[in-house]
Amino acid sequence: MAKTIMIVDDSSTMLMSLRNSLEIAGFKVLEASDGSVALKTLQGGAKPDLIITDINMPNMGGIEFIGKARALAGFRFIPILALTTESQQGKRDEAKKLGATGWLLKPVSGTDLNKIIKQVLPGA
Amino acid sequence: MLNEDHDTEVSPGETLDVFLRLEEALDSTLKSVIDDTESSAQSIIRNIRQLHESARKLTTYLDGTSLNAGDLGKEIAQSVAFLVDIGTFVERLPAKMERDLVSIQAVVEEMKTLSDLTSDVKAISLQSHLLAINAAVEAGRAGSAGNAFKVVADEMRRLAGNSNAMAVRINSGLARAQQIVDGGLRSTITDSSRQLADVSTAAVAIRRLQDNLDDMSQFYKTRFAIVAKHNEDLVLEIAEALGQVQYQDVVRQCIERYRIAAGRRNDALRDVFGSSGDPVGGDAALPVQLELILGDFLAEEDKHRHSVRQTQGSSAPLKIELF
Repeated sequence: MAKTIMIVDDSSTMLMSLRNSLEIAGFKVLEASDGSVALKTLQGGAKPDLIITDINMPNMGGIEFIGKARALAGFRFIPILALTTESQQGKRDEAKKLGATGWLLKPVSGTDLNKIIKQVLPGA
Repeated sequence: MLNEDHDTEVSPGETLDVFLRLEEALDSTLKSVIDDTESSAQSIIRNIRQLHESARKLTTYLDGTSLNAGDLGKEIAQSVAFLVDIGTFVERLPAKMERDLVSIQAVVEEMKTLSDLTSDVKAISLQSHLLAINAAVEAGRAGSAGNAFKVVADEMRRLAGNSNAMAVRINSGLARAQQIVDGGLRSTITDSSRQLADVSTAAVAIRRLQDNLDDMSQFYKTRFAIVAKHNEDLVLEIAEALGQVQYQDVVRQCIERYRIAAGRRNDALRDVFGSSGDPVGGDAALPVQLELILGDFLAEEDKHRHSVRQTQGSSAPLKIELF
């Protein structure tokens, strides 16, 4: 059965690029335009196998979203990857502390993305 | 400040006004650039996806063709194997028929022996007939006392007649059987041998057909494997292309950061010069504010050092890091 990946980004180009890359690789995709929408989707019962989130977004940024998603029941161990243009070490450390699984700098090639997904989602 | 066209003095307020209008036009153009590149990037993504779908349909079609050809190949191979079995049987058939003929000839020899026996039966029945006639003559001489004996003599004579007729029929049947074996079967085997030789030739042709089928099957398997490899490469290239399109978002964010810094700078200028064009907040504060804006801008840019051009060298941040 295909694994489901949630992508969170305020850029419609990023959402389109990621959705197509992931669908071609055989995944199901859930989209959210910022952290707030993503959190509501999770609270509504969505249970993705992996979350890929941007960091700088309106309403709720990626760092805050990671912290709040980890606090939800059933989301303690689901891998969460940050995908951002932010390269600052401080932000990486903060995300790591809140439970992020990894940090990817935009743009990320489809090959690299699939490689990372296979590492954090065994059997994908 | 003098206006070069009119040799008239221009106030700082007028200069600022032109500057800010120019900035507004530039900002509007930058906003259009963001919108246009976003639209273009999304169009590219749609085209790439369409390309992938076309490639997928092509490979699905080829896979289907390969499966159909495989099924057809199996059916042909089964049919050929069946025909080859028939061919092998046919090739062996003349020798088998020869062996059967030898057995039949042995039977014919036995039949000849039986034919001789029927001559003996005929002789016995003739003797019985003569004996019955004599018995009848003797019974006649005996008068009424010989009546019973005459009945027995008549029965013996009829029995001898029946035995003789039976022997004749058996002899005739054996002669016909022998004629069939000697003439018909031999000629059938001779005729069949020619036809069987033709069938053997057909069996060889069938084997050659099977070899050609195997060659053709291997040829198409290789072709399908090559197409599958090209498709695999195409999928990888598509994935790479989709990743490259993400640069639009990187550039968009870069332009957004510039627009924010430029907006703050323009606000600072407005604050200092006011609507009249004369410094109202003290122009000494302007360099400090601009320095602050520059510092913030450079700090933001430093946080986003990520592009290939900016990340050359050992101090480049990790593009991918798993915690």
